[in-house]
Amino acid sequence: MNWKTYKNELLVALSLLVLILALSYKVAKVSQNEGTASTTGTSLYELEKIIALKKVWGNKKISKKVDKLKTLVPPSKLQWQKKSKKLTAVFTSLDERELNKVVSTLLNLAVVIQKIELKRTETSYNLEFTCKW
Amino acid sequence: MNFTGNTKSLLLVHKDMPEQTLDESVNIVLTPQFYTLKREALPVKYAYQAKRIAASLFEGLLEDVSTHEYFVEKKGDSWLFIAYDLEKIQDFLVEKGFDLTLVSKMFFAEQMSEHLTSTVATGENEALVNFDGNLIMVPKTALADDVEYMEVHKDFTPKKGITLEAGEKSFLPKKESYILAGIFFLFAFFFVIEGLRYSGENTEEVEKIQSLLASYPALQSSYTRENIAKKYQSIDAKERKKRESIKAIAGMIFKGSTLSSFSMDSKKFQALFICTDAKIVKKVEALAKKENFSAQKVANSHEIKIEGSL
Repeated sequence: MNWKTYKNELLVALSLLVLILALSYKVAKVSQNEGTASTTGTSLYELEKIIALKKVWGNKKISKKVDKLKTLVPPSKLQWQKKSKKLTAVFTSLDERELNKVVSTLLNLAVVIQKIELKRTETSYNLEFTCKW
Repeated sequence: MNFTGNTKSLLLVHKDMPEQTLDESVNIVLTPQFYTLKREALPVKYAYQAKRIAASLFEGLLEDVSTHEYFVEKKGDSWLFIAYDLEKIQDFLVEKGFDLTLVSKMFFAEQMSEHLTSTVATGENEALVNFDGNLIMVPKTALADDVEYMEVHKDFTPKKGITLEAGEKSFLPKKESYILAGIFFLFAFFFVIEGLRYSGENTEEVEKIQSLLASYPALQSSYTRENIAKKYQSIDAKERKKRESIKAIAGMIFKGSTLSSFSMDSKKFQALFICTDAKIVKKVEALAKKENFSAQKVANSHEIKIEGSL
């Protein structure tokens, strides 16, 4: 058989074959991508989450940040007992503004709050808390 | 290997030629018996431009312009225009026993005028003569007796020729086949590009993971990752709950409702509110219920105790 006789058909058939192969390649890549994209995305999300958690709760500078609580009220109103990675603080005769400042600062610190005791007297508040990190 | 395509023998086709039996593919060259030619010095640059005006040049010269096809070639400063009737040529070739599938390309004697410098014998009565660069058929009787004849050699094969499509017996016409193949190749190209794009889509995320693992080598072990996640997730959840509860309790302090005491440990919290009247007590109670805390009114007073677990 002289191939030249059917060269037009051969050309079309060849191009069609290339088209089918290219399409198969694309479909394979799409399905492969769908699987790996989901796994990779989940892994990245988990990893970023772990790093973020570690940064917040494993922060080695938290001890210094905790000291900020000391500066919020006059020393006369405060009993401060910091030992290793644990703090017990007793605030007495706090007005509302001071109480809000202390509580807001405490809540924004990445520390484990073990105990809080708040009592209102006639005109002021007494606050005691224990936390660790 | 010869890449110029001159490997096929070149056969001179003329009206007096004997019947042929082809065993292999050949190129053919037609004598002026099969075409009409014109030379024109036209201000056109490309062959396709010359081909467009070819038909108009032969008006009046040919019986039926519409049955003819045209071949153009630049020769020096002028253009060579050749009009030929392909159907008639093919009929003639078939009549002479040619298997058209074995006719590779068709040329015109005029294309090789620079090679055909001597006379070429074309049957018993006529000969092909080069007269001032033009090839013409003349009766042999008009030639001198001692004239020397030359043979047409395959080395004379011009570069440009005509493919006999009718001899290809294709179901698909050449033009349509090329268009179809072009479209298929184009789509194939797009599919491959798209496939490549998909294969590179995760690269950014993978690179980010690798970069993070390089910055935190301790996290390369999945065991370590699991332990860290377990430890901090538990702390994070509990501490969030504590802070959310304190904020919810703080939200219950408003005009008429005063927080009298609050205590919290790692498992539970308790708050005592003193309200100005029963209406405020109800409001605080409603807020506590909304937060899913338990609320308990203190008997014979406007106080309410709120408790919740962590």
